[in-house]
Amino acid sequence: MRFTPASPAPPVPRAGTGQLADRSLVPPCQAACPLYQDIREYVDLVAQGRILEALRVIRSGNPFPSICAYVCSHPCEDQCRRAQVDNAVAIRALKRFAVEFGGDRLVQTEAETIHSERVAIVGSGPAGMACAYYLRKLGYPVTIFEAHPEVGGMLRGGVPQYRLPRAVLDAEVERLTRMGVEIRTNTRVVSLDLLFQLGYRAIFVTVGAQQSRRLGVPGEDLPGVVDAITFLREVNLGLKPSLGDRVVVIGGGNVAMDAARTALRLGSREVHVVCLEKREEMPGSAEDVEAAVEEGVALNCGWGPGAISGDSHVTGVQCIRCVSVFDADGRFSPTYDESTTTHLSCDTLITAIGQVPQVPEDFRLRTGRGSTIQVDPVTLATNRPGVFAGGDAVSGPATAVRALAQGRLAAHRIDDYLQHRYPKPRDPGPRLEGDLEPRTVEVIRRTGRMEPPVLAPEARRKGFEPVEAVYDWEAAVSEARRCLRCGMGAEILFQDKCAACLTCLRVCPYHVPRLDEAGNVRIPPEQCQACGVCVGECPARAIALRKPHDRRQVDEELEHALNAAAEAKVRPLILGFCCQYGLFGTHSLAGVWRRARAGVWIVPVLCAAKVEAEHLLKAFELGGEAVFVAGCGEQCARENTDLWLRQRVERVRKTLAQVGVEPGRLQAFVLAGGAENLAVELDRFVERVGGLYLAEVMRREAGR
Amino acid sequence: MIIAEQKPLDEMARMLAPYSRVLIVGCGTCMTVCGAGGEREVSYLHHALRVARARAGGEPRIFLEHTLKRQCDLEFLDLLKDRVAEVDAVLSLGCGVGVQAIAEHFPDLPVLPGVNTSFVGMADEWGVWDERCAACGDCRLADTGGICPITRCTKGMLNGPCAGTKNGKCEASPEMDCGWVLIYRRLETLNQLEKMRRYYPPRNFRTIPRPRRITSRAGGPGETDGPQPA
Repeated sequence: MRFTPASPAPPVPRAGTGQLADRSLVPPCQAACPLYQDIREYVDLVAQGRILEALRVIRSGNPFPSICAYVCSHPCEDQCRRAQVDNAVAIRALKRFAVEFGGDRLVQTEAETIHSERVAIVGSGPAGMACAYYLRKLGYPVTIFEAHPEVGGMLRGGVPQYRLPRAVLDAEVERLTRMGVEIRTNTRVVSLDLLFQLGYRAIFVTVGAQQSRRLGVPGEDLPGVVDAITFLREVNLGLKPSLGDRVVVIGGGNVAMDAARTALRLGSREVHVVCLEKREEMPGSAEDVEAAVEEGVALNCGWGPGAISGDSHVTGVQCIRCVSVFDADGRFSPTYDESTTTHLSCDTLITAIGQVPQVPEDFRLRTGRGSTIQVDPVTLATNRPGVFAGGDAVSGPATAVRALAQGRLAAHRIDDYLQHRYPKPRDPGPRLEGDLEPRTVEVIRRTGRMEPPVLAPEARRKGFEPVEAVYDWEAAVSEARRCLRCGMGAEILFQDKCAACLTCLRVCPYHVPRLDEAGNVRIPPEQCQACGVCVGECPARAIALRKPHDRRQVDEELEHALNAAAEAKVRPLILGFCCQYGLFGTHSLAGVWRRARAGVWIVPVLCAAKVEAEHLLKAFELGGEAVFVAGCGEQCARENTDLWLRQRVERVRKTLAQVGVEPGRLQAFVLAGGAENLAVELDRFVERVGGLYLAEVMRREAGR
Repeated sequence: MIIAEQKPLDEMARMLAPYSRVLIVGCGTCMTVCGAGGEREVSYLHHALRVARARAGGEPRIFLEHTLKRQCDLEFLDLLKDRVAEVDAVLSLGCGVGVQAIAEHFPDLPVLPGVNTSFVGMADEWGVWDERCAACGDCRLADTGGICPITRCTKGMLNGPCAGTKNGKCEASPEMDCGWVLIYRRLETLNQLEKMRRYYPPRNFRTIPRPRRITSRAGGPGETDGPQPA
C-alpha cells in the first residue's frame, strides 16, 4: 500500500503566508529594558533548548551580555506580567545560563575601520565601553582614556567580586581590545581642547559619578570614617583594609549593601546598616537587601546619622529617629524626632549616601542638578560641539544596563554627528498594554519561579566567591517555559473573512476572544496566551499569530523534512511532528528521537496544538507512509493542547479510513508518565507501520 | 442559519471521477459558520482528495480552491469567471442554494454538491448543531412559547404532547427532550398555560406552492408600478 507521492500542490493563497510583517507587540519586559533587548525571543529560544540561537539574540542587542548576566538590575523582571500569575520569569538568570553555555562562541570581534574620524572616550566604565564597542562596529577608530590603572569604571572599582567575577569583566575588556579599541589607562584627561588638538573629531565624556556625598555631620573627618566608593575600590583592587569587629554603614541603597556585605567578608563580626527609610522604602533592590540580611547584616531602618563620636579614631555614631523621608510632594526632605536617639558603637564607619559626578572645570561643560552634565536627551550632545556625555555623569548614580544603553545611544549619535545626519528617532512599534484579567489568570498553569542555586550564607561570608550559581539545563528550560509570550498572540488578521462564527470564543482555553458592543469578535492581545488553538480551528482561516515565524513554521519545517527525506531516499518514510518546547525538544527527551531509526523524519513544531489537520493530510499526500504527532502533554505550558491534538488526529484518521488508508498509520503521542514510556510506545509504532509497509511490498511483489 | 455536513469523501471521489480539473468552491457565510465549507474545509478537502488520489494512483488530478463570501448571489459568482474557465467541474461546498446558483450562472459547467444541506439551526456547543426551524412559512412560535413544535417534536405535531412522552423525553429516543413538554414548561413560566388548551387545525401543506417566492419590494417582479432599482 505504498503511496505515489502527489505532485506538489499549486500554491494556494493562505492566511498569513503572503504578508510576513511582524505584527507582534512590544512586550513589557522589552519596553522596560534600557537596551531594548528582545527578551521574549531569547527566553523562548531557551525554552526550545536552542541556547546558541538565544545567545545570538542576546549578543545582537547587548554589547557585554556576560556583565549584564551578573549585575543587571533587571527592570524587565519588574515589569514581567508573569508576576500577575505567580512570579516574574527569572530573565537575568536565563541570560546568564545562555551566556555561560555559549562562552566565547558567537563573539564577533571583527571590526573594520571604515571612517577616518577618530573618537575619544573619557572614562572606561560601562557607558564608555559600550560606546567604544558600537563605534568600532560602526567603523570608527576609538581611544578610551582612563584615569585609573584599570579598566571598567564602577564595574571594576565599585561592584564587589562576589557579584561580578573579575574574569568575566577581563574577558569583555579583552574582547574590546581585540576589536581594535585603544585603551589608555593611567591617563587623566584634563582638557577636552587638548583632545581636539590631538585630532579627535568627537568626544564622549563618561566620567561616572564617583564622588561620595558627605554626611555633613560633626566627626566626619575622623580616622576610621570612610566613604563606600573609596572602601570598595580598595577592596576590589586587592587591598584588605582592617575594619575592626564592628562596622556601621550609613545608607540604604545598593552601594551600602555592597559595602556592608564586603565588610562581612573581610571578617567584621557585626555590621550595621543605618538608613533613613523604612525597610520597604529602602532604595536598594529587594534582592540585595535580603541577601545582606541573610548573611547577617543588621538593618537599622528609620534612623538618621547624628554626630560621629571618637577622639583620635571613630568609636560610634549617634542615630536620630527619622519620622519621614519625603515631603508631601515626594521630594527628599527628611524630618527627625530629635528626642529619640540611639548610639551605635563601631570601629569603622562607612558612608554610602550617594555619589555625584566630578567633572573637571576645564572641560567647560554645563552642569546641572547634582553636578551632572546637562545634555540633550535625544542626542546626548553637551553645550560644546562635538562633545557628548552619558552614563552616571549625566544621570547621576544609575545602573550598569542604563549606562550600556547610553553608551550605545552615544555611539549612534556620534555617528550621526560625524556623518552630518539628522538623528532618526527609533520607532519601537506599538506596545502591549494592560494587565491580565482575573479570569485569564485563573486558567494559566501555576509553575513557581525557579531561582538559580545560591551559596549558603555562611559559605558566602568566607570570601568573595560568586553568590549565585548558574542554572542547569533542565532548570533553565523549565524556567524559560514560564514566559507568557506577551504580545505575540493571535489576532483576526483578515477581518473581512471573519464570519463571526464564534469558534474562537468556544475553543479558547483562556476565554480570551469576546464580542464587542458592535458584535464583532475581538481577541484582546493583552489576554491572549498565544497557544494557537483558535488559529488551527478558525473555519474561515481569518486568525493568525502575530509573529510571522509562527504563521509559517509548520509548513516550512514539513517542507524541510520532506526534502531531506527525498534526498535520503530511505523507505519507509515516517514523519513525526514533534513539540520543540521544553525538555521535549532537548536532551532529556532527545533520546526518543535519537533512537528513531532511519526513515523517521522529525518535523519540529512549537507546540503540537499548532499542527493543523491539513498539515497531517499534507504529510500523507506528499509521500509519508505513516505520520505521528508528539506533544509534551503534562509538561505543556499551555492548556488543553493535547485535547486539540487528539481531536485533530481523530478527525484525520476518519478521513484516512474513508480513502482506504489504514487509520493506524496516524497516531498521536502525548507525554505522560515520563519519557521512557513514550520512547517505548514510539518504537512500537515505528515497528508496526514499518512492518505493515514491508508486508505490503512483499504482497505486491508476490502478486506480480 | 443553514446547517450542512460534508459528504463522505468516497462519495465525493466517485462524483469527481470523470473530471480531471476541479475547482473546489467554499462559502464564507453559513457554510463557514457551521464548519462544512469555509476556507479551512476547502483546504482540508483539497488535501484529502489529493491523498485519495495518491492512494488510488492513476492520472494526477488538478484541484483549485477558492472561497467566496457567499455563493447564493450571482454577483459573487462573477468572481469565479476566470477560474471556472480552467476547470472541467466545480465542487461546491455551499449549501443547496449555492450549488444551484453556480449551476444557473455557469450553464455549461457541471456543478457537484460537496455538502448535504441539512437544516436551519444553531450551535449547541463547539461542533454540535441543532435544528430549530423548518422554514414552514407559517410561524406559530407566538402560541408555543417560542419553541417550534415542527422541529422540536419528532413527529412535528401541532397539538401535543402525544402519548409517547415519558418523563419529559420522547419515545423516539430517551436522550431527546419532548418538544411539547418544553413548550408546556415554557408557557407555565410565562403564565400562558391557557395556550395549551387551544386546538390548532392541521396545516394543509398542499396549499404551499413550490418554489416559493417572497417579494419585498412594491410591485412584483416584471410589474412597472412602484419604484424599480436602476
